[in-house]
Amino acid sequence: MPEKKVNILAIESSCDETSAAICRDGEILSNIIAGQKVHEQYGGVVPELASRAHMQNIIPVVHKACRDAGIALPEIDAIAFTQSPGLIGSLLVGAQFAKSLSLSLQKPLIAVHHMQAHVLANLISEPRPSFPFLCLTVSGGHTQIVVCESPLKMKVIGETIDDAAGEAFDKAAKLMGLPYPGGPLVDKYAQTGNPERFLFPEPQISDLNFSFSGVKTAFLYFLRNAGKSTVYKPEQTASEEEQEAFIRDNLPDICASIQHRIISILINKLKKAAVLTGIREVCIAGGVSANSGLRQAIRETGEKNHWNTYIPEFQYCTDNAGMIAITGYYKYLNKEFSDLSVISSARSEW
Amino acid sequence: MELIFHLDAIRDAARRFLAETKGKTVFAFHGEMGAGKTTFIHAICDEKGIRDIVSSPTFSIINEYRPEDAKNGEKIFHIDLYRMKDQEEAMLAGVEDCLYSGAICFVEWPEKAPGIFPPDTEHIYITLAGSETRKLRIGRN
Repeated sequence: MPEKKVNILAIESSCDETSAAICRDGEILSNIIAGQKVHEQYGGVVPELASRAHMQNIIPVVHKACRDAGIALPEIDAIAFTQSPGLIGSLLVGAQFAKSLSLSLQKPLIAVHHMQAHVLANLISEPRPSFPFLCLTVSGGHTQIVVCESPLKMKVIGETIDDAAGEAFDKAAKLMGLPYPGGPLVDKYAQTGNPERFLFPEPQISDLNFSFSGVKTAFLYFLRNAGKSTVYKPEQTASEEEQEAFIRDNLPDICASIQHRIISILINKLKKAAVLTGIREVCIAGGVSANSGLRQAIRETGEKNHWNTYIPEFQYCTDNAGMIAITGYYKYLNKEFSDLSVISSARSEW
Repeated sequence: MELIFHLDAIRDAARRFLAETKGKTVFAFHGEMGAGKTTFIHAICDEKGIRDIVSSPTFSIINEYRPEDAKNGEKIFHIDLYRMKDQEEAMLAGVEDCLYSGAICFVEWPEKAPGIFPPDTEHIYITLAGSETRKLRIGRN
């Protein structure tokens, strides 16, 4: 008789995406993501709206994930969910749903850390990195470099001390008056711009940590001074008309230049991490890995430095339950279960 | 009181700030984007021995840290109201629960929901005094 296969149902609700996935023996059979269009008109994710939308979405999303995978609820062996970090109201919706399902199906519950799951998204499909590998995880709320020694053994060796890379993109976009979500628009305008036309300072942080607040401040004054300098000089401040005209006339070059700096900050730390650890298997993960400039930079840097580089399929880069499912699968094999008293946490420590 | 400091001496400024505001629990940091609110709160948290990574809560709204010598689940909340539309939204996001919990709260963009702050909130105003120097004013004049 063949060995019984392990089916994991995973639920992710840490921010504005409600997602459910089914994984069988490490293979993702379905990965359903319901985005929340409602935030675009507010210029960002609104926590209360996010929780309400999760409540509306969660049952249809789980239902579709099971149907697409051809799995009925009784066939599920364990339920994995995102425990932390994220918006607390959003996390609670997924956690309560997972706990209720665990109780009613009498199947074990697996609490998953969102950031660990982003890293393990690289194990979902071929080509997979070999251990140990480095992973740069970049999203709207996080920027980290992680050394991953085995699926359940990883260590954060660098992270942002202020803004996340995705936040830097979004705030830069907002300063230029671009609509939400601004990051992808910066990337789009950057395609036709000259990345070397304007120079923004690189933060001097000695270890593997990141800082983007200095670049943000420089960018703010760069726009206020209509491109004449990146430092605060009240006497240089341009009129609002001049500032608007400057942005309008130079948008592609401005976008390309700020994108170039944000990416070079990421890549330089990744290069440093590779030298310090001697690891040449290098992955990226998180929503910002959709950025075309970052994808190109990681490929080129990899070729130059003889790294093998990996980028997960796009559906596994943004917030998704597929990555929670693969993490849940490894935790299942290791029998890392949680009881119903496990609490959601906004705290990012792991 | 007022404090003017170079960014290289931010830890000293944080130390003086803590001495000056001893006993207060809720701190509202006013200042435009790029003024250095997150950076200053980071320095205060370093002074308080927080080992958790302190970063911008713009995305997460509420960050929760634990001091190294935490007793009885002592917490510090780092809150950012930047993306809040109004007071009601901040309340629904659970911000009030933090502000009235007795825990230390550092709040950025307090002007997005001015009405939810307890009366003994310490207000701090951060402005640029030069590209590498900042002016910190504590208290409403």
